[in-house]
Amino acid sequence: MPTAIVTDSTADIPLEIAQELNIHIVPNILILDGKEYADGIDISRHEFYERLPYLQIPPTTATASSGTYNRLFEELIRLGFNQIISIHVSKRFSGVFNAVSVAAQPFGGRIHVIDSQQVTLGLGFQVCDAAEAAQSDAPLEVILNRIKGVRSRVRVFAMLDTLEFLHRSGRVSWARARIGNLLRVKPFIEVKDGQAKRIADVRTRRKGFERLLSLLKNLGPLEKLALLHSNAENEAEKLLEAYNTKLPSNPFIINVTTTIGTHVGPNGLGFAAVVKTL
Amino acid sequence: MEPESQITKRREFYGKRAIDGQALKKLIEASLIWLRTNQEIVNALNVFPVPDGDTGTNMVLTMQAAYDEIQNSGDSNFGKMIHGVAHGALMGARGNSGVILSQIWRGFARCVGESETLDGETFVRALSEARHTAYKGVVRPVEGTILTVIKDAAIAAEDALSETGNPILLLEKVISAADESVEHTPELLDVLKEAGVVDAGGKGLYYILEGMLRYIDGLPLDTSLTTVQPLSSLVLDNSLESIEAGQDWEVIVDFRSQGAIDMVNFYNDLENMGTSIQFGEGDGIYRLHIHVPNENYYAPEDYIKNLGIVTKVAKENLVDQMERQTNGCLEQEPEIMPLEPGKIGVIAVVPGSGIARIFASMGVAAIVKGGQTMNPSTEEIIREIDKLPTDNVIILPNNKNIFMAAKTAAEFSAKNVTVIPSRTIPQGLSAMLCLVPDGDIEIVVSDMQAALEDVETGEITTATRTVELDGVKANKGDIIGLLNGKMVVSSHRLDQACLELLNFAHADHFEIITLFYGKDVTVQEALQMQDTVRSAFPEQEVEIHEGCQPHYHFIVSIE
Repeated sequence: MPTAIVTDSTADIPLEIAQELNIHIVPNILILDGKEYADGIDISRHEFYERLPYLQIPPTTATASSGTYNRLFEELIRLGFNQIISIHVSKRFSGVFNAVSVAAQPFGGRIHVIDSQQVTLGLGFQVCDAAEAAQSDAPLEVILNRIKGVRSRVRVFAMLDTLEFLHRSGRVSWARARIGNLLRVKPFIEVKDGQAKRIADVRTRRKGFERLLSLLKNLGPLEKLALLHSNAENEAEKLLEAYNTKLPSNPFIINVTTTIGTHVGPNGLGFAAVVKTL
Repeated sequence: MEPESQITKRREFYGKRAIDGQALKKLIEASLIWLRTNQEIVNALNVFPVPDGDTGTNMVLTMQAAYDEIQNSGDSNFGKMIHGVAHGALMGARGNSGVILSQIWRGFARCVGESETLDGETFVRALSEARHTAYKGVVRPVEGTILTVIKDAAIAAEDALSETGNPILLLEKVISAADESVEHTPELLDVLKEAGVVDAGGKGLYYILEGMLRYIDGLPLDTSLTTVQPLSSLVLDNSLESIEAGQDWEVIVDFRSQGAIDMVNFYNDLENMGTSIQFGEGDGIYRLHIHVPNENYYAPEDYIKNLGIVTKVAKENLVDQMERQTNGCLEQEPEIMPLEPGKIGVIAVVPGSGIARIFASMGVAAIVKGGQTMNPSTEEIIREIDKLPTDNVIILPNNKNIFMAAKTAAEFSAKNVTVIPSRTIPQGLSAMLCLVPDGDIEIVVSDMQAALEDVETGEITTATRTVELDGVKANKGDIIGLLNGKMVVSSHRLDQACLELLNFAHADHFEIITLFYGKDVTVQEALQMQDTVRSAFPEQEVEIHEGCQPHYHFIVSIE
């Protein structure tokens, strides 16, 4: 009984991989200067990050409507899938999980909506693993367990170039509540348990780079790695080079989804890594 | 002067083989007064020609706290009283010299125990214990400091015991040895020799001991009435937080005297004219410094004209000076976010309200202002530790002269308190970046320690005297730059000094240059400096922030 895997565009899964693994990705919506763009389709990420600092009105992000998901699920069932697993970005960051839960209701339990408690490839790696299992016809329970397994072993860290965008977006409570950091700092965050936790700050990119490298090295042997950035591809490549360790699968270098980039700003740098099972 | 008979009686009293608690109180008071009288002489012995030399003031405040502890006690038990002295000194200790001084009292008191009186033999043993306790309290003891002086004093006392058990005679030997030891310190510590000074802490200890003997011998302790200080020790910068009511002008009169000056009448007359009277002598001239109200604008020079030949009169408008200095530096309390119970709380010691605001914005849990000497007492730090609703506390002293008081406070507290050895403000800020309030205390501490190395610190100030250190020559009044505590540049101009300092530090290899401007720098001057630095370092980000610190025109962080 085949299982379909669905996710949204915040998973940042490269197109070729998505096609190879038969993952169905629903694009989130970016609203820029009053116009709607489908994330990753109607506007290139590179172009977005170039424009971002100059935008008078901060862009907003929206999920695809419940209707869109509803229609997708119907289509999938029509194509012969009995079970659908729809894995999404943490509830805290987006309303997509709720929208999908609503869309799933009429289908009588055949659709399992999962909060990955993660973002970008922290979510993407869970989705890929589920898709691999689904392709080899694993039963539902097994797939669900594998998702949980990857979730427990994935680590996501990032350095933001500035607190500005996070502050503007209002999505993260500690960035809203700050009394006005007088020194300009670059915040470091870890995405864990569905939240973005602030783990100290740095003042310089050099120090931030060193810290990312050190965090990466301290994780030990990895199964999967993705270097994440928002228009900072050179640095992402340098970080990978500095890491200099052989990996079981090719690492990705990803310019993150605009739905994250809006809140994080350009020149962000980080990684998502799945630690090897012991 | 006291009558001869009274002095003789006193010598007899102390010459008895036993000194009690009340006699001790008198001696402590005498030490305090004599040290205070010579406070500025000790302050001027700062190795670096920087205006925050405050060993004298720190030791006075420490002795004041020691005396305050026993001032109202009528107890005649020597042991009880000396323990009071030690406790007061411990709580009131300011600066490293103050802390070491408190260790000296502690060792002394421990040896005395509960004895009713002190005799010569116990005095000698106690001095020895004082010396050992002082050395033990310092992680890396350095010879040529107050430690050497207490050591030499203790040894001299031991030697003298074979000749006499008379406490006064022993004290005389001790003081003489201390004096020699102080004079010898430049031979033991190169920086002292280079700077041409003896060790300040050692000198302070000498005055403390000498004060006791002067009291016993009936000599005056409030010397300002009978002798004159060296010119170089006059403190003429009016870095007051507020001027005394009614004082409008600072007047300085230089003159040559036509005969001896009746100091007692001289002071009385001047006290009728104004306040902040200082009188110095040097290079054949006398210099009088006084603050007067408007109606006495001409009074000082007219008065002096009757005593001698006036060679120069300088006047400065105090109110205007005060207004220019105050800048935007309001002494308001910074907005500190209340610490959530159980989270890690950081206490930072800061020299200015602007810097306090920056630490507050980074999530510090409490600020300790250094006070007059920028060095808080052990007690002030303990108080802040106690106030925080958490057991895990980190202290950032941000000044190497505050480190020991912070450590003492940490040891004294039952809480889990760690002192991160930040020596400068930029180091302290670098450590603050690592704060994760709900993180693992050991990881945060380790991260903070490592962060101290991430930043280079520059300090720009005006040389308080002419000196040559590490091959850099500076004249009094020159602008000097220190890099990580070492004097590296000297210039006539502020902007030039800054640029030279930044060049010396290879700032072009770093990312951010931050300038914290002090109380005496206006916003315009700071903005100008920012522009100057930006032009010279186009690849670096240049930030300026109001620091409001005294003495240092700019504190620079290079990272």
